[in-house]
Amino acid sequence: MKHLILGFCLIVSSLLLAQEKYSIRGTIKDFTNGETLLGATVFLKGTTNGAVTNEYGFYSITAAKGNYTVLISYIGYESISREIQLNADQTLNIELKESATNLNEVVIVADEPEQISIKKPQMSVSKLNAGTIKQMPAVLGEVDVIKSIQMLPGVTNNGEGSSGFNVRGGAVDQNLVLLDEAIIYNTSHFFGFFSVFNADAIKDIKLYKGDIPAKFGGRVSSVLDVRQKDGNNKAFNVNGGIGLISSRLAVEGPIVKDKGSFLIAGRTSYAHLFMKGIEDIKDDKISFYDLNLKTNYEINKNNRVYLSGYFGRDIFNLSKIIENNYGNATANLRWNHIFNDKLFSNLSLIYSKYDYQIILDFIELDWVADIKNYNIKYDFKYYLSDKLKLEFGASGISYKLNPGEVSPTSQTSPINYLKLDQKRAFEGGLYVSAEHQITNKLTAQYGLRYSSFSRLGGQSISNYSNNQPVVYNSELDIYERGEVTSETFFDKRESIQHYDNFEPRLGLSYQLNEVSSIKASLTRSTQYLHLLSNTSSVTPLDVWTTSGKYIKPQRSTQYAIGYYKNFKDNTYALELETYYKAIDNRIDYIDGSDLIGNNTIETEILNGEARAYGLEVLLRKNKGKFTGWLAYTLSKSEQRTLGGQAGGPGINNGNWYNTPYDRTHDISLTGIYKLNDKWSFSSNLVFQTGRPVTYPNGQYNYEGFSIATFSNRNEDRLPAYHRLDISATYTPNNKPDKRWKGEWVFGIYNLYNRKNAASITFNQNDQTGLNEATRISIFGLIPSVTYNFKF
Amino acid sequence: MSCEDVIDIEVPTGQIRLVIEASLDWEKGTTGNNQTIKLSTSTPYYQTQDIPSVTGASVKVTNADTNQEFIFTDQNNGTYTISNFVPILGNTYNLEVIYNEEIYVATETLLTVPEINNVTQSLEGGFDDELLEVNVYFDDPVDQDNFYLFSFYEQGDLFANLEDLSDEFLNGNEIHNFFEKDEDEDNNQAPFQAGDVVDIQLFAISERYYNFTRLLIEQYYGGGDPFSSTAAELRGNCINQTNDENYAYGYFRVTEFVKTSYTFQ
Repeated sequence: MKHLILGFCLIVSSLLLAQEKYSIRGTIKDFTNGETLLGATVFLKGTTNGAVTNEYGFYSITAAKGNYTVLISYIGYESISREIQLNADQTLNIELKESATNLNEVVIVADEPEQISIKKPQMSVSKLNAGTIKQMPAVLGEVDVIKSIQMLPGVTNNGEGSSGFNVRGGAVDQNLVLLDEAIIYNTSHFFGFFSVFNADAIKDIKLYKGDIPAKFGGRVSSVLDVRQKDGNNKAFNVNGGIGLISSRLAVEGPIVKDKGSFLIAGRTSYAHLFMKGIEDIKDDKISFYDLNLKTNYEINKNNRVYLSGYFGRDIFNLSKIIENNYGNATANLRWNHIFNDKLFSNLSLIYSKYDYQIILDFIELDWVADIKNYNIKYDFKYYLSDKLKLEFGASGISYKLNPGEVSPTSQTSPINYLKLDQKRAFEGGLYVSAEHQITNKLTAQYGLRYSSFSRLGGQSISNYSNNQPVVYNSELDIYERGEVTSETFFDKRESIQHYDNFEPRLGLSYQLNEVSSIKASLTRSTQYLHLLSNTSSVTPLDVWTTSGKYIKPQRSTQYAIGYYKNFKDNTYALELETYYKAIDNRIDYIDGSDLIGNNTIETEILNGEARAYGLEVLLRKNKGKFTGWLAYTLSKSEQRTLGGQAGGPGINNGNWYNTPYDRTHDISLTGIYKLNDKWSFSSNLVFQTGRPVTYPNGQYNYEGFSIATFSNRNEDRLPAYHRLDISATYTPNNKPDKRWKGEWVFGIYNLYNRKNAASITFNQNDQTGLNEATRISIFGLIPSVTYNFKF
Repeated sequence: MSCEDVIDIEVPTGQIRLVIEASLDWEKGTTGNNQTIKLSTSTPYYQTQDIPSVTGASVKVTNADTNQEFIFTDQNNGTYTISNFVPILGNTYNLEVIYNEEIYVATETLLTVPEINNVTQSLEGGFDDELLEVNVYFDDPVDQDNFYLFSFYEQGDLFANLEDLSDEFLNGNEIHNFFEKDEDEDNNQAPFQAGDVVDIQLFAISERYYNFTRLLIEQYYGGGDPFSSTAAELRGNCINQTNDENYAYGYFRVTEFVKTSYTFQ
């Protein structure tokens, strides 16, 4: 305690005893299109005093009175230095020019530019800009955010044709995916073959695998923060691409030059047009489209407003059998206000919705479900001194979930109308966080987030005999649904259940020397929304549910420690991180659970826990003709689900078992080689331990069929997953004065045609009566060609 | 885009267990006196020989409402038969199997099945508008939850096709089910055509047996594909009273069923 008080006095005195100080603030933008640059460094030469621009390109530095050289730099751009006389608060807005050689060169940014990234306490974060993503080989010629982050250490997914991604052994629903701050509930098009993010509309992405800043909350594994471009505020500009499966077009330009701009980007697939020509599948349709919109206007130097939106849709129609469509829609209205040289604020009003519809014609059934939320968020950043920066804010999210509504599609349909209970909830958040340079070498980032969650009334909740929604049947050693004894109705104004959580976040960085540092972090996080899925692949039809009387919030604690080094004049960078993550209240499904159309999900689940740990290595080459990275992850992810209230030993006899996201080894190699101005090449090599699955361990004859018996949950594995992709980009003679710029991208996915098992099914052959294993592999070798243009 | 191929892949071998296939099915309108119970053991997954039959067990069914006992006779080939069984609707029956000095017991209630109203054929319905299907219609009783098992069997095939159905979304309505065969070059399966004969059976089953058979059907036809729930060992209703670790596979069911045949025109 004594030390604590002493420490506090030191902090306060260092703040109070400071000399006469002034602030310098401003916005850093791109010279050609006026896009704000986030993560640009502003430095006072010869000092350790500097700042990194925030999500809106804003920075503020406070320093003692004097003359300084300000150095502004951003990877891929020419650095600028300015002499200033700091004798009063002042504004310094800078526009940086892209490096001349940069047109095709790839720039990989780990976190923030060098000096800062070594020093900043933020760890476990990966940043990719749209330029890098566009250089990586992609399946079917469509560059993809979700596929590219899977090349980073600690990020995997469940194989081709599955939605979402898994971070450090976490489930898909444990990722908070934000597109311009709006929650995206399903990141996939075409059942996971593409993602919802159009690379033409995206400025950059940041993936926090741990050490999640206090301003984010609501998910326990990661945050994927995707920011859309603002739109060119200097000149009209069109870019697009024509591929075999899909095409895209983006238009951007000024509304008022240098003051306001807009961006409209669209994508659509047209495979269904070809399908019409083929007799067998002419009634089938599989397609997607999406639209990104953004506009912003600078009212004056202290006020700027942004409006952004996204709308996407997938349509899947198998002639007369099944018709399915799903998609996300988001909107965000933001107001940046600069109170003074040190205080920056942003207020956001956000809406997002995910819905799906499924029509089964043969049984005349129509099923719709959706989740939507309204979100208000007010965030502040206070540049208190050169040693201390504060972030604080509040948010409130109102959720409404419609888990399912079934209706007959005709008068004669045998289906009865049914609407599952609508669920309402409110999630509140308050946070404060400080980035504090304690000594020249030691920097800390400490914060606290308070989250609260109320499941609101307007529905009845079932009560169960002995308060057991699930009951252990000791005779048969199985879990069964509990017996409903009564129902309690909750009024709309009543709260069915309330939860509160304090979530400390702590990061420390100790700089060993100019080019290396060690960092450590602790993150506690709570998740109140859960995606219900008892299948091995997440599908668009999975239903979200809220915490409530029977489903407790998931709570994770993650510890991580890392070592970072730049060498050979920052040409190479090495990151080593190791983590341990423990998650409470991770639900799992009892054997034979039935989630479809189920109003009482609590009768199908047991509360369990999960843990994951691993070692991640990332070696990057940042500069030169050849760039790229090698990522290796050694990890373990398992869960345990005890019987608890329901009695009995629990799932898998109460033993720990692999989660479906456990990958012992995960190796990704990405290389990009720029041969000359006309040709550049890139390649991905991926190797992963096979996904945990449950295989049969015997069979018996019953009613004339061979019925499989099974071993313990997730005890076996699919064969290892590996593949190699290559692509070549050809840029014809582009004269610098010509407006039209084009390039051809030729790609081959899965070059050596590896038949990676998406799944292995075990069946009795209906001609021979013998049991056999069938491998389903989704993509063999797939060539693609895309023409991209810009004018 | 996707491709399927049969591969050789090793699977583990678990414990070999007794399998009790005790399906006392009573066809509506008959005496139901003749019944058979089969006993066998499980085998490794890729077993190619005949199923090992279990002989020397004692098999007995008791009507719990009337206390009438029915002793099944060992035919020394894995089957145990009786010719004087008395099915009574709504009554509960207990099974007792004694094998290797261990006692297995199970309980099940006999439920009534509705009559089939109508069987038709059509082209327009079903999954594919160009393929023939057979349609079955029956009335679901409104006053309770009902569970059904269908068996569609085209004469000449190796296997019947099983389907489970609950009245969850259909309670009290006339229920329509259909069976259509698709062309499949891999296994010479052909769509229905004039002259094909389909045997149709409709069983009234208990909720617990529905839960069992629903999973059995999902696992049998899905076989662990990405959209089926995580495969897990199926536990039937036969309990080993002597040693609960050494449980048996299979099920003791008591059902009433209706049966009909349809010849495509």
